[in-house]
Amino acid sequence: MTEDIVIWILVSPLFGAAAALFGKVFKSAERVFCILTLVSFAGPIAALLVLLEPLLDGNVFFYSLGGWPEPFGISLVMDPFAWVSSALISLITPLIALFALGNRKYGAHFFFFLMLLTAGMYGVALTGDLFTMFVGFEIIAIAAYVLIAYEGTPTGLVASFKYLMLSTTGILFFLLGIFLIYRDLGVLSIAKISALLESAGGVRNTHTMHLALASLCVGIGVRTAFIPFHTWLPEAHAYAPHPVSALLSGVLIKVSFFAMVRILMQFGGSYMSELLLWIGGFTAISAVISALAQSDAKRLLAYHSISQMGYILAVFGAGSSFALTASFFHALNHALFKSLLFLTVGTAVGLRGVRNLYKISALGRRIPLFGLAFFVGALSISGIPPFNGFASKAYISSGMGGSPAYVLLWITSFLTIASFVKLSRIYFPGPKEPFPAVQPDTALVRDYLPGKLEHLVVIVLALMCLGTGVFGVPVARFLHQLLYTEALEYSLPLFGRDKLLSVVPAVLLGAFAFRLVITRAGKGFSARLKALAPDLHTVLLFFFIGLIAFAAVAY
Amino acid sequence: MALLMIGTIFIVGLWGIMNKANMVKKVMALSIANSGIILLFIHYGSLSGETAPIEGTRDVMVDPLPQALMLTAIVVGICVVALALVLVYRLYLQFGTLDMRLIEKKAWKLND
Repeated sequence: MTEDIVIWILVSPLFGAAAALFGKVFKSAERVFCILTLVSFAGPIAALLVLLEPLLDGNVFFYSLGGWPEPFGISLVMDPFAWVSSALISLITPLIALFALGNRKYGAHFFFFLMLLTAGMYGVALTGDLFTMFVGFEIIAIAAYVLIAYEGTPTGLVASFKYLMLSTTGILFFLLGIFLIYRDLGVLSIAKISALLESAGGVRNTHTMHLALASLCVGIGVRTAFIPFHTWLPEAHAYAPHPVSALLSGVLIKVSFFAMVRILMQFGGSYMSELLLWIGGFTAISAVISALAQSDAKRLLAYHSISQMGYILAVFGAGSSFALTASFFHALNHALFKSLLFLTVGTAVGLRGVRNLYKISALGRRIPLFGLAFFVGALSISGIPPFNGFASKAYISSGMGGSPAYVLLWITSFLTIASFVKLSRIYFPGPKEPFPAVQPDTALVRDYLPGKLEHLVVIVLALMCLGTGVFGVPVARFLHQLLYTEALEYSLPLFGRDKLLSVVPAVLLGAFAFRLVITRAGKGFSARLKALAPDLHTVLLFFFIGLIAFAAVAY
Repeated sequence: MALLMIGTIFIVGLWGIMNKANMVKKVMALSIANSGIILLFIHYGSLSGETAPIEGTRDVMVDPLPQALMLTAIVVGICVVALALVLVYRLYLQFGTLDMRLIEKKAWKLND
């Protein structure tokens, strides 16, 4: 009977979406229906909690939709991977939805698409076959296009259209990969493909399977946003409404990353790890350099999302089981602090009505709790103890196991600090300015002062950032236990003297790098780098070059 | 021969997505490329038998799964194209042009 619970994870958000539509019909009770929509998150959360204990014992659940057996029907699989990614969704999404509920701008429409997006993400996380994964990705995408363009600002519309063109082209190649697999193997279930590939002697011994694997990776890679498929992300994440940016950066790219990990591990794609290791390293460093050059507060954060995905990808490429745990741990932590940062910075941007971070200042006095939460997020992403970025970066540095690509990640870590020194001026307690200090941007919708719900969400996220940092070792152990059903033997003295001292040079170098950026030469260089934002033609060019490179390496 | 034609359709679609400046044409190209993939599935599905998969026929039926999958893919594709056209319309209202390059230049000025 326990299997039947699995379906509720998928169905419950859809009920929530339906409730939101009722809110659109009965305008007077819109608020009630929005709250009802949020209640539907209880379904997945309860189901995940019930399933946790059997999963820790090493059970895996299968659920066939409509009672149709495997080759004809759609099956859902609940294994540790699926649990981790759906737990990530159920942890962050309700909080962001709560934040959106506190803001009067977002009505029933918004919650409908939010729940559709959530259902799509659960679908991708739980699916047992490739075609359902495709459908899940498309549901996510359609909901995301609408949400990015929700405010109807010109920049939001352009970002949404660019994302649509690129990710649909990507998903065409995903379909091509499915086609190649179906033509040669005749099955679509991930477990069956894995078994067939194993009996054929691995992916490399087959004729077209490695091409299929490469095109699947490219299709998902567009969603996961590593170089060279990252080009849509800065705009889409920067010009979306703030809760949507938090959701996209915090959860969505992680879910696609987990899907890619699942495909690579099941299909024996370990020969690609070396490639992913280097892609991850270069993604991390080049995105952080771009981030340092930005003057748009949300764009800066969006570039940091790419950079942190680089970390996650690089350590996954390192290959050991410990490295995978470290990568999932960082994915969790990044989801927490990046949604926190997007919510706090987004609120600041909305309040001032400008996006340029040099024109926003000293908001710490007006909304002190948001300021505090912002600093928690900034310290987390910079890897300062005792916050969670420090914990997972320590795990990453052990997980990389002395690979030369770690140098790239190390440089990234102090450049991250530098760019957050730059960003933190928006919340530094300074002289109190008259409120509409600058001419508001026409391309931005002005916000209200955050209410109680927003404060609650931000505080909860900040506390979780602190919690996963202080209790970093138990959290990592729990993840490892879940993923591999064995205890993590290697324990890391997280708050030992060596580890704490290793932060000092990074901080010093970070301060130095910040000093360099605000010199005249640094500013000129930043301006040049900022102007390099790719247009759609270049974006697609990048995509095709990446595609050919992936296919060549896979071959 | 059929494969060559399907490949041509797909490549033409990709070329259009990349090189056409007009957004409506970009969306059309997207739809064309999507059709290429759909035709590929249908073509390979049709090679596996002789008649349509209807219960009760004597001949060897084709594999019904690719057709079922492509039905879903067509529906998804139509949704994406419809949404893309809505975005194009809204962009036209905002910027007064359909040229993607011009729109991007104008949007870039709004950024900072």
